[in-house]
Amino acid sequence: MGAGGGSDSEPRISFYGGKRASAVPLAFFIVWAVFQSGVLGIGDTNGLVIGALIGTILGMFLVRGDWKAYADTIFEGMTQRVAATAIVAWLWAGMFAQTLQVGGFVEGLIFAADALNVGAATFPAAAFVLCGLLATGIGTGYGATVAFVTLFFPAGVLIGADPTLLFAAILSGAVFGDNLAPVSDTTIVSAVTQNADIGGVVASRFKYAIVAAVPAFVAYLVMGSLLSGASLEGVAALRDTATPAGLAHLVSMGVVIVTAVAGRHIVEAISWGLVVAVGFNLALGLSSVREILVFTVTEPGPFTALPFVAVGDATGVGGSLYAGAIGFFPLIVLTLLIVSMAQIMIRGGGFDAILEFLLNAVATTVRRAEVTMVLGTAAINGMITINTAAEIAIAPYVARIGEKFNINGYRRANVLDANTSALGYIFPWAGGVLVGYQVMVGPNGLGTKYGPEMVVNPIEVVPYVFHGWFLVIVFLAAAVTGFGREYVPDRPSEEVSRA
Amino acid sequence: MSALEKLLAGWSFRSSTPDFEPGEVLEVMVTGREGGEAVARVGDSTLRIEGAPDDAVDARVLVAVETWDASTHRGTGTYRRTVGESAF
Repeated sequence: MGAGGGSDSEPRISFYGGKRASAVPLAFFIVWAVFQSGVLGIGDTNGLVIGALIGTILGMFLVRGDWKAYADTIFEGMTQRVAATAIVAWLWAGMFAQTLQVGGFVEGLIFAADALNVGAATFPAAAFVLCGLLATGIGTGYGATVAFVTLFFPAGVLIGADPTLLFAAILSGAVFGDNLAPVSDTTIVSAVTQNADIGGVVASRFKYAIVAAVPAFVAYLVMGSLLSGASLEGVAALRDTATPAGLAHLVSMGVVIVTAVAGRHIVEAISWGLVVAVGFNLALGLSSVREILVFTVTEPGPFTALPFVAVGDATGVGGSLYAGAIGFFPLIVLTLLIVSMAQIMIRGGGFDAILEFLLNAVATTVRRAEVTMVLGTAAINGMITINTAAEIAIAPYVARIGEKFNINGYRRANVLDANTSALGYIFPWAGGVLVGYQVMVGPNGLGTKYGPEMVVNPIEVVPYVFHGWFLVIVFLAAAVTGFGREYVPDRPSEEVSRA
Repeated sequence: MSALEKLLAGWSFRSSTPDFEPGEVLEVMVTGREGGEAVARVGDSTLRIEGAPDDAVDARVLVAVETWDASTHRGTGTYRRTVGESAF
């Protein structure tokens, strides 16, 4: 974050109730988020924005004296570079992801499954790998879950794969991509809040991801054999949507990953990926120009002959570039509010008070510090089920506790992201599970279309999200054993380039 | 550092008490003060830093290691310059 700092000066804001009261905005927001997403099961980011706004207003009433310092701190928080860096990366990632979606990437993966002659027993393992690939390409586990539950899940169930295991395998793939993809919102937040470059974080994260993914793949093969049922007419349904040319986007995805890991700025890496993806879409006929960018007008005119201008019922701008960037707007607003609430807590002294307690009473050795970081991220992600919001809230603690033991930025980013990615797709109230469940039970959902066997109870999925559980176990083991641990002097993380 | 080196970095079980050699120049985060002198805790090892400015705590600095006792995992070093700051 750089410009922040909880220890560079005395608290500038004084609260009725002392330093603890500076946590009221963030605490109110967390309670709101738990009630909205955990208790009521509403995964609406815009709802969290309102919770953050009300929490920020409530905190102001507790300020002693002039409220101007409080208001100034809101701006101070919002203008920190950590928020701006994440926002820029999200906008680019959103455009890229949506362009892959309209370019038939999912349909390409379905072709691969068909070509590999995947049967009922191996369908869950294949779903894990292919959904993992999609999520790594598009960076959003939620998007990958929706795409796979819509297209892949019914075909698998019709072939005879166990619905619960198949849904869990799709969620596991989403965990893998959310955790590892350079264009993933959680990857971006984990890197920029720990002052580490995104490509370096992805490279350092690979070892944990693969150590968890290999046994998860084996587990899906074994459980797939044990739980598979009778084959129905699924292969035909699968073939209907298969588009081999969509596999070209494996190259688009590879361009982003290789360029980012090679050390280029994430904006540059995604821009190259975007150019390649648009090129494939147009050259291979995977999408029209209008699916990528379209200006819609209500009356024909001299410009309607252009390939990116259309006539419709209402004026507007659309296409994958537009929808991809717009899709991140609610999260961007929420992020600005969360970092401003965190800054209020820093300036009010509450952040240092909690940090001091953790460092003096809990995180007294490097091993205990890492276990504290792992369990802290798990606890906050268990409560706030929109995982990026949870990650932003806990990030300052992971940074400061880790820095007190000179744990380097890559390791801190990896600890921060593991539980954020995993638990967001395990618990029945988690956002990742709910978006997939919504595809099954929503209006015109799979349940309505195919019958009740296409609806999976989210509670039953919990034990089978193998990659998620293995990732949690790998990080707990890594904290205790020192596997993958790196200190600042071992390899100072490269500064996040913001030029 | 090449992309391959980045991928292969950290594939090991790292000690909670890392040791250093006299003459090494390290980049470390200054984590606190002991007896008025800046210290950097690296894992559960401790490096005392002579000559660090008063505001060095929570800053990243370059330190030249002068002495190191591998049995107690403690040593001393000399402040060179400040190269960065805390992430938060």
